[in-house]
Amino acid sequence: MEPYISVRDVTHVYSNGVTAIKDIDLDIYDNEAVAILGSNGSGKTTLVKHFNGLLKPTKGKITVGGLNTRKERISKLSSLVGYVFQNPNHQTFLPNVIQELEYGCKNLRMSEEEIEERVNKAVELFELENYLNENPFDLNSSQRKEVAMASIMAISPRVIVLDEPTTGQDHKGCQRILHLVRMFQKHGHIVVLITHDMHLIGELNCRTVVMHQSEKVADGHAEDVFADKRIMDLAGLQPPQITSLAHSLPFLNSNKTYLTIDSVLQSMKVNTEEGVKIVTRT
Amino acid sequence: MNSLYLPKESFIHNLDPRTKMIFVAFVVLSSFILNDPALQLLFLVFLFPLVVAAKLVKPYLISMQFLLLFAVLIMTVHGIYNPIGVTPVFEIFGGLTFKYESMVYASVMSFRILVIGTAAVLFVMSTHPSDMASALVKWKVPHSFAFILLSTFQIIPIIAREAKIVMEAQQARCLDVKGNLIQRVKNLIPIFAPLFIITFMKVHQLSYVLECRAFSREGAKTSLRDTRIGYKDYAFLIGILLFLAIEIYLQLYLSGFLNLTTDALLTYSLIGTWVVFGFMILKFIFKRVQSLVGGVADA
Repeated sequence: MEPYISVRDVTHVYSNGVTAIKDIDLDIYDNEAVAILGSNGSGKTTLVKHFNGLLKPTKGKITVGGLNTRKERISKLSSLVGYVFQNPNHQTFLPNVIQELEYGCKNLRMSEEEIEERVNKAVELFELENYLNENPFDLNSSQRKEVAMASIMAISPRVIVLDEPTTGQDHKGCQRILHLVRMFQKHGHIVVLITHDMHLIGELNCRTVVMHQSEKVADGHAEDVFADKRIMDLAGLQPPQITSLAHSLPFLNSNKTYLTIDSVLQSMKVNTEEGVKIVTRT
Repeated sequence: MNSLYLPKESFIHNLDPRTKMIFVAFVVLSSFILNDPALQLLFLVFLFPLVVAAKLVKPYLISMQFLLLFAVLIMTVHGIYNPIGVTPVFEIFGGLTFKYESMVYASVMSFRILVIGTAAVLFVMSTHPSDMASALVKWKVPHSFAFILLSTFQIIPIIAREAKIVMEAQQARCLDVKGNLIQRVKNLIPIFAPLFIITFMKVHQLSYVLECRAFSREGAKTSLRDTRIGYKDYAFLIGILLFLAIEIYLQLYLSGFLNLTTDALLTYSLIGTWVVFGFMILKFIFKRVQSLVGGVADA
């Protein structure tokens, strides 16, 4: 299968001489959710900014949907790869939510009908019916974040990039993001997540790419990456608490990586049914 | 990294900010006393060793490129079109004539910009903003006023950084920044509206932060970074005074005899700025081509 985004041997050096990413190879396929992990300054954001052409590779080549990003306009690429910035205040500026949603489509000079159709779809997906005439700045931060996401989704890009979507969100907001990411995937979008939220990745149980000091050090399923202690230590990452806990519980299979509380509970239930005696470690 | 200050260990960096402020005032004054392009050019050459002493040659040259743009424009447009000119010096493209008087005028103006720019760059790049504020307070400037100055210096790079993010954020919403002129003017709204809002939010936050740290408390404040005028500063100031005396002497008694501002000097300085400017454009084009070719080479 052809990858939708293909990153080949890409290096990016900023004008101040800092090498932000080095020799990155990455293929992202249809319907995938990819989480990009790594400590601050490891090059995560630089990497994803290449997907919609905000940055052009210093060396190497990136194709998105068959287009070479070096040769295409950002506005063209942005209709394929939607990028939701971390701070919605950088993106929202119009007096009400509905105009905010229409904005991207208008930039693409779509017809009235098409704009309406796409906006309605986004409104439905994000359940924004009651806020359409509100000023985005009057909404609370999680609602504003959703408006920013919806305004990108209204363009209906194939890929959606979320830059630290759960930062500064309350529990409900985080649950909502999780739900939305699953919805995006269900609707056939590719989701790229930059995050420090290990719980979120555990719940999604998706493909995980780990960046460390400008290089890609791991690329695999969250289960496998979280189980690789060497990689986790190298990149300074801590698996979700439940994973660490489950690993030290003697009555659970120590070869399996548990990512969610549900999976741990499930195993315990099976164990009890099979009559395995639960003993605590002394 | 929120200001233009570049920390280095040098003679200029170690001077008291007050000395350097006097130095800037001296340079501004000098650029008006020396009302002659040749002397101003000479003055510019004399300033250069200070840039070398401050170990700021590269960043200085980079910031000068921007000022050189003004110099090229002024020298070319004024040299040809300023109505005070009568004596033709040389002609380009048949019909466009550079005239002596207008070239003198244009050179004085543009060298003044370069000279003052040099002093300003030297000051800003070699002085820690906090040092400048505490030096001002020592001059009995009210603390809050010194802080206003300080925060102005610091907020410019912050706004610049935010502007870049907003620009990218709007491009991610399919805003085409490379359009015709009307399109570009229209594009200012989606960039400036969020930028203003964010800046106001930041300023508001800053005021809270300041209050949390007892900014409005009455009475004298101590400073973490102390600045002191030492023998180096006195030496530097004496140097400045000497220079000033020489300038005044030159201007008052020798301006009649010295005839440094010749046609050749004016022509060479004009062509000089063109050549440097041409190099800048070539470098720019080269970089563009390089990034384009780089893409093809890997394909």
